[in-house]
Amino acid sequence: MALYGEARDISLFRTINRELMGNIISQECIYYKYRLAETKVNMYGEAADGRYFFDPVILNCLIERQDQEYPESDLGVDFQWGITFKFLRDDLLGKNPCIDNQPDNVYGANLVPEVGDVIMYQNGYYEVDNTNANQFFVGKNPDYPFLDDEGNNPLETDLANFGSSISIICQTHYVPGDRYNIQRQRL
Amino acid sequence: MGALFFHIYNQNIMANIPIWPGSSSFHPGDTPFGFYDYDSDFQKDADKVANFCALRLGYPIENVELQDINFYAAFEEAVTVYANELFAYKQREEFLTLEGTPYSYENTNVDLQNAIITPNLQRIVDLSEQYGTWAGVGGNVDWYSGSVVLTSSIQDYDLDAWATSQGLTGSDVEIMRIFYQGPPAIDEMYTPYAAGFGFDGDAAAFAFMGGGYGFGDNFLMMPLSYDMQTIQAIEMSNDVRLSNYTFQLINNKLRIFPVPGRDDDGCNLWFEYMLKSDEACASVDVDPNAISNISQVPFRNMDYNGINSVGRAWIFEYTLALVKEILGYVRGKYTQVPIPGAEITLNQADLLSSAEADKNKLIDRLREYFESTSRQSLLERRQAESVARNSELGEVPMTIFIG
Repeated sequence: MALYGEARDISLFRTINRELMGNIISQECIYYKYRLAETKVNMYGEAADGRYFFDPVILNCLIERQDQEYPESDLGVDFQWGITFKFLRDDLLGKNPCIDNQPDNVYGANLVPEVGDVIMYQNGYYEVDNTNANQFFVGKNPDYPFLDDEGNNPLETDLANFGSSISIICQTHYVPGDRYNIQRQRL
Repeated sequence: MGALFFHIYNQNIMANIPIWPGSSSFHPGDTPFGFYDYDSDFQKDADKVANFCALRLGYPIENVELQDINFYAAFEEAVTVYANELFAYKQREEFLTLEGTPYSYENTNVDLQNAIITPNLQRIVDLSEQYGTWAGVGGNVDWYSGSVVLTSSIQDYDLDAWATSQGLTGSDVEIMRIFYQGPPAIDEMYTPYAAGFGFDGDAAAFAFMGGGYGFGDNFLMMPLSYDMQTIQAIEMSNDVRLSNYTFQLINNKLRIFPVPGRDDDGCNLWFEYMLKSDEACASVDVDPNAISNISQVPFRNMDYNGINSVGRAWIFEYTLALVKEILGYVRGKYTQVPIPGAEITLNQADLLSSAEADKNKLIDRLREYFESTSRQSLLERRQAESVARNSELGEVPMTIFIG
């Protein structure tokens, strides 16, 4: 039976992370989730009529910025800026009635970062190139308790209560906002 | 965005343990033991102490990963530690008086918390019984008499054999006194036959027979020291010139000097003894209703309402130290706490070392304070004050009164 990394410990980590990211570091970004079902594609698989996004969501995150680059090509001078956005995975879950029903609760974004989403940071837009959800506390992800069809695990009965997938890390690159028909409306 | 749920994530297991929200409301039963839950002042102070500790730990600037019950537990422990230190000090101070006294009276347990204890000498007397026993001047063990019959020319007598003949065990017998001695020197003082060393016997003392002091009713009153010196002289003469009475007792084998003569044959040589088993029994007094050790001194849980502001201030500080310790353990269960893409180390080490130092300092301070109010310390201080006062008064010029 697992002993460490139980849900009670994970709760402490969540509290510390939210304090650290929300109150101490306080880096934020705006997340635009790609609306795949409403985006029409042509016979070449191109979104010729434009891409559609859900309403933006503001999130706490840890931001790791690379240096801006200005490569020159035959078309002129370009602009490149890669940024890595690190999210606390629990912030991205939907509201949980068991824990997120406090009136002042700001968590429960209910989104899954995917390639193609767009993140707004300092008036710039960054398209997600890839996502990485590979930080498991004590090496376990409770989403996978290895239960059989009858809901049993002969080695471990409560594996779903241990471990945690801590983060989702999105690597992005800068894109001009007009390319996605995203207009700045607020902020 | 309902369709974007993490469909594989079982949110029911995502426990969320609340932490200190900034306020609390104490209710009886919120502490682990409930020793003081119904003391009105404790109920009032519990929430204040919780708030005090949280503020001292940085709230609301920083989160304090504790709940109100953690604060209450620390508060209760601090009161208990305070009471324990106080009562332990009182026990040390008074145990000589308390040992042996009943801890219940008419089926009601006594509580010494509010008792004023006046010391008495009974235990000192009890402790001195052992010396009285061996000195033959009291004590708590009976002495018995025994005798062996002397046989002329037999010098050694086995008292173990005597004990066996009396139904006793030789190893249980402790000979305390042997009555084997010559007649007192004063018997010889007034006999004319004691003049072997130039002493004139009773003639000198009472001026009979014209011993140089005249006839008739004339006599000379000699000082008592003269008699004492004479007796000592007789005793020393007997020791040096004659075979004086003495004996040797080794392992209950009695050897007497001089060797008994024909006149001694059949006489009893008396001695006194006690039984070691009696002595052992006298040392143990089993009384199930009496205080026989420190743990039975009837100090109950302290009445929090009765603790003064000095005591409460100490309790608040000690509570804070305990809360630091709890928070240190909470933050230090895992050395590294994961954050997205990295790990951080919390301040567990600082909290624990600070808590340890604070606790030790507070305990030392409390003990020092108690010791400074002990009976001995108070009397010493009073004596010092008296000396200082007299010294100061001595500086006042003494005027000469002319009437």
